[in-house]
Amino acid sequence: MTELPPVTEEINDFAVREHRSLWLDAWRRLISNRTAMIGLVVVAVFVLSAVGAHFFWKYDAKMDLNYSAKLLAPNLRTTEKSTQIHIFGTDKLGRDIFRRVVHGGWNSLRVGLVAVGISLSIGGLLGLLAGFFESTDLNRRERTILMAALGLGLGALPAWIARQPFQAVLFGLLGVASSLLHGKTSKKSSPRLVEYGLAGALIGGTSGFLVGPMVALVCGLVGLSIGLLLARPVGGKVFSSIVMRVMDIILSFPSYLLAIAIVAFLGPGLEKGMIAIGVVGIPIYARLARSAVLSVTQKEYVLAAHSVGEGHGRILFKHIVPNILSPIIVQATMGLANAILSAAALGFLGLGAIPPEPEWGAMLGDSYKYLSSGAWWAVLFPGLAIMFSVLGFNLLGDGLRDALDPKMRV
Amino acid sequence: MGRYILRRLLSVIPTLIGVTLVIFLFQRLIPGDPAVAMLGEHANAENVARIREQFGLDKPAFLDRDALAEGDLPGFFDSQYVRYFGRLLQFDLGESIHRRIPIAETLKERFPATVELSLLAMSIALVVGIPIGILSASRRNSFLDGATMIGSLVGVSVPIFWLGIMEIMFFAVIMKWLPSGSRLSSGIVIKPITNLLLLDSLLTGNWVGFKDAFLHILMPAISLATIPTAIITRMTRSSMLDVLQEDYIRTASAKGLSERIVLFRHALKNAFLPVITIIGIQAGTLLAGAVLTETIFSWPGIGKWVYDSILGRDYPIVQGVTLLIAIIFLVVNLLVDLSYALLDPRISYE
Amino acid sequence: MTNGTAMKPLMEIKNLTTRFYTQDGVVNAVNGISYTLDPGEILGVVGESGCGKSVHALSIMRLIQIPPGEIPAGEVFFGGRDLLKLSEREMRMVRGHEIAMVFQDPMSSLNPVYTVGFQISEALMLHKKMNRSQAKVRAIELLNLVGIPEATKRFDNYPHQFSGGMRQRAMIAMALSCEPKLLIADEPTTALDVTIQAQIINLVIRLQEELGMSVMWITHDLGIVAEMVHRINVMYAGFIIERGFVDDIYNHTLHPYTMGLLGSLPSIDEAPGTKLISIPGLPPDLIALPEGCPFFARCTYRVEQCHQERPQLENAQEAGHTVACWRWREIQGFGVA
Ligand SMILES: Nc1ncnc2c1ncn2[C@@H]1O[C@H](COP(=O)(O)OP(=O)(O)OP(=O)(O)O)[C@@H](O)[C@H]1O
Ligand SMILES: [Mg+2]
Repeated sequence: MTELPPVTEEINDFAVREHRSLWLDAWRRLISNRTAMIGLVVVAVFVLSAVGAHFFWKYDAKMDLNYSAKLLAPNLRTTEKSTQIHIFGTDKLGRDIFRRVVHGGWNSLRVGLVAVGISLSIGGLLGLLAGFFESTDLNRRERTILMAALGLGLGALPAWIARQPFQAVLFGLLGVASSLLHGKTSKKSSPRLVEYGLAGALIGGTSGFLVGPMVALVCGLVGLSIGLLLARPVGGKVFSSIVMRVMDIILSFPSYLLAIAIVAFLGPGLEKGMIAIGVVGIPIYARLARSAVLSVTQKEYVLAAHSVGEGHGRILFKHIVPNILSPIIVQATMGLANAILSAAALGFLGLGAIPPEPEWGAMLGDSYKYLSSGAWWAVLFPGLAIMFSVLGFNLLGDGLRDALDPKMRV
Repeated sequence: MGRYILRRLLSVIPTLIGVTLVIFLFQRLIPGDPAVAMLGEHANAENVARIREQFGLDKPAFLDRDALAEGDLPGFFDSQYVRYFGRLLQFDLGESIHRRIPIAETLKERFPATVELSLLAMSIALVVGIPIGILSASRRNSFLDGATMIGSLVGVSVPIFWLGIMEIMFFAVIMKWLPSGSRLSSGIVIKPITNLLLLDSLLTGNWVGFKDAFLHILMPAISLATIPTAIITRMTRSSMLDVLQEDYIRTASAKGLSERIVLFRHALKNAFLPVITIIGIQAGTLLAGAVLTETIFSWPGIGKWVYDSILGRDYPIVQGVTLLIAIIFLVVNLLVDLSYALLDPRISYE
Repeated sequence: MTNGTAMKPLMEIKNLTTRFYTQDGVVNAVNGISYTLDPGEILGVVGESGCGKSVHALSIMRLIQIPPGEIPAGEVFFGGRDLLKLSEREMRMVRGHEIAMVFQDPMSSLNPVYTVGFQISEALMLHKKMNRSQAKVRAIELLNLVGIPEATKRFDNYPHQFSGGMRQRAMIAMALSCEPKLLIADEPTTALDVTIQAQIINLVIRLQEELGMSVMWITHDLGIVAEMVHRINVMYAGFIIERGFVDDIYNHTLHPYTMGLLGSLPSIDEAPGTKLISIPGLPPDLIALPEGCPFFARCTYRVEQCHQERPQLENAQEAGHTVACWRWREIQGFGVA
């Protein structure tokens, strides 16, 4: 048998696929997804026409009126009856529906962006913090801040009753004391219920006494319970569950019913509608952000960041936020669709834009009473506009989910 | 199991109190003097006084610290909210401002119409959505699957009030096949038992009445069912697809079970769990959608009532019905959670 | 025991090929493998992760999802017929009845919403036409057989009430319920800790002797199979690159890849958890298989021919020992001592 010298040249590890960045990869998948592309095109048409119309096609809704051209059917050529071309026809005041539909897009876009902006910024931030502090121990400074806020917040009640804002500050200090005195050993030493209860009762009672005996009694009792609550420094879980409880309350009103009710009391108006729709959407983002954060806080890169002692703020914004962006982007895209739909519903009920402002829902609400006269165009086109813009965002959101979903990444 | 149910039941209480608080706070959103807002600028003094009394507007919102300062402990708690809450505990939802009829009374008339409509819409959504979802998951990427995905996206994108209007235009105005609104044609009488007309007419064997009620409810039910159908279809499909990837599905096939048994016995029960949650949420969509659908089809339920009351600034009605809807929604979701626990052995033994 | 010559094989596989059509291209997961399995034989199938062991087993059971999968060629003769040509209906009567399978992850292989007992009974009711109560009696016997204490009580438990080892025992009970002629065990112990692993292995050996079935034991741990199997198929990139009786594979190793696998076996005094396979480099991309020997890129003995032509399995000196390598004759003797 002949000697066989092993090959000495280096063995190269090929077969390692080229590395693609997540976002580039997602973009590639997005443009290869046909439905997503259709969505993107629809959205682009919607956004461009709305923005273009707003800036370059002057329209004064208050002056738009032409009784001689009432409820004209769509025409592509001028006739003796309609001296102008109305490709979508005219409405009961002789206004060109095409023009109003295009300008209505600007309002829908505005509502969508503002409402989603409100929901996303408030809900996203709350969810982010809730999720982070639910899974991470508070450091000393954060615990102190939380306890101070808790003391201040709870102390506001006796302070308000006795008209002494100073009291709230004292309760805030009590919270600080609690966190500083046994922040570290909170597990070992049993909370000093008696001391803190007494301190609370004292703060509430003495200052209440200046107003009247009954006030002293009530403030003393309230102070006692606050003291007992503050006796033990709480962790981030408490913060998280308070936030999520409040979200639960908002969520117990079915979808846009809450928006309808809010606007019913506030009075109609596009701006009020935006706010109402935005508020109603807060819990969706809060829940989403919280669960997304919870799913990444145990990942190696976050644990590693903790172990090298990076600050919480840095970990949150450098390691966690980038990794929960994709579900949030998907939800925000779908949220735009939802906001446009809700705004149209408000407008339809007469709770949104105030006439004669062009708004798709309101246009439908104005015109559907004329259905029996056969003016189908007055309801068809605004409705189609709503449907296509909403569909566009939904298609895009769907495609984004497929493109950004890491599970799909091979 | 028992402890789980108890815990879940107790957890509803704070939420419920929060809900009443939110609804109470609605009236503080009214710009200006609520009494004037409700009655208009030219209301007579007597009516304004009545409204002030009804809402306790001369009292503070939550707690009366002035009363306390004077040593009046019971007076401390005598406030708008406490009164409101106290009345709620006695099942008193207040009364209509303009008609001065207790809300609960009108509710008894109006509520069954909404229940009937919502139940039918939900049945449509389940009967259509679940089978289609299962089918398109088991034939992934087929033509049917593609059509389902597009159809369901259109379904969640179409404004239901517009859909309703288009239905009326086509089926009522142009084709004249279906009536355009209300629950029954005039002249048709159905002996009330449950006030669900379809059920009552069946119970009394009143076929003419059944047909008439059915023709009336068809269009509103279909437009109300659109969104839930689309969402339940999508959820069933995606949940089914997830489950079909699971190892235990492969185990079941490796046993030699037929595709049908694997699908319906092993996959469906697991896939159904997330779908149930969605069904609960869709109950809310139905109740909120009722405001739009009932308005378009002049359906005499609570949704139309809310709409009319908003226009008439009859705020107690808006508050009362919103509260009722929120409570129903909470109860439905409670039931959903409990049935979840029944279906998933991992929860009940926790 | 097997002696390979006179016996009619239980299963004969010819040129089995499986592909997957994915977004990135066609994955050649199994590339024309052929071998026979005798009655009562325990066959070990070894190879690195991703070399097609599971896909080849699932292809035999026809549990590959089509699409994206496809079995474009090959024959699997079992009991005198080609399984790949059976109708879906006939194939169902084979699954769980003549060939049964145990999977890698016991935690996810049982349906969480049905009791363990029911899931075992299911196969009995289907293939043995038992009624519910007969199936229950038999299922309890089976649970006893695989060593689950208080089997009667455990029958009504849900999977989440079982530990990992118990679940795998239950999976084995389920697989054995209809007395299959062949049991395919796809890395049944990988997810379990070491002591439980040994128990499961002993259990399967015992049951194999009692019931006389054949077993295909899939693993990437050559250490485990040495004690239990009769023959070994070594797989690489969807090919069988060496096959033979245990002693020949261990003592007269011919393929450089097998040597690598054996060379990386941890000795007893090594810390547990040491990475088992440490041949430098990665297996080839199954989407773009090299034209020549699939092991070329990582092979220390490669020559130009290995790059140009793909070696086929050929007989080595020992009976039943085959190897796919151009240079096995030269390499012989360099193997691990
Ligand atoms: N459904 C599928 N679609 C695409 N590729 C697949 C699919 N199933 C398996 N493959 C590919 O086939 C190849 C073989 O996979 P297989 O599961 O048989 O490996 P294995 O040898 O069992 O590995 P392990 O030891 O990790 O279980 C892998 O490269 C895998 O990526
Ligand atoms: Mg495998």
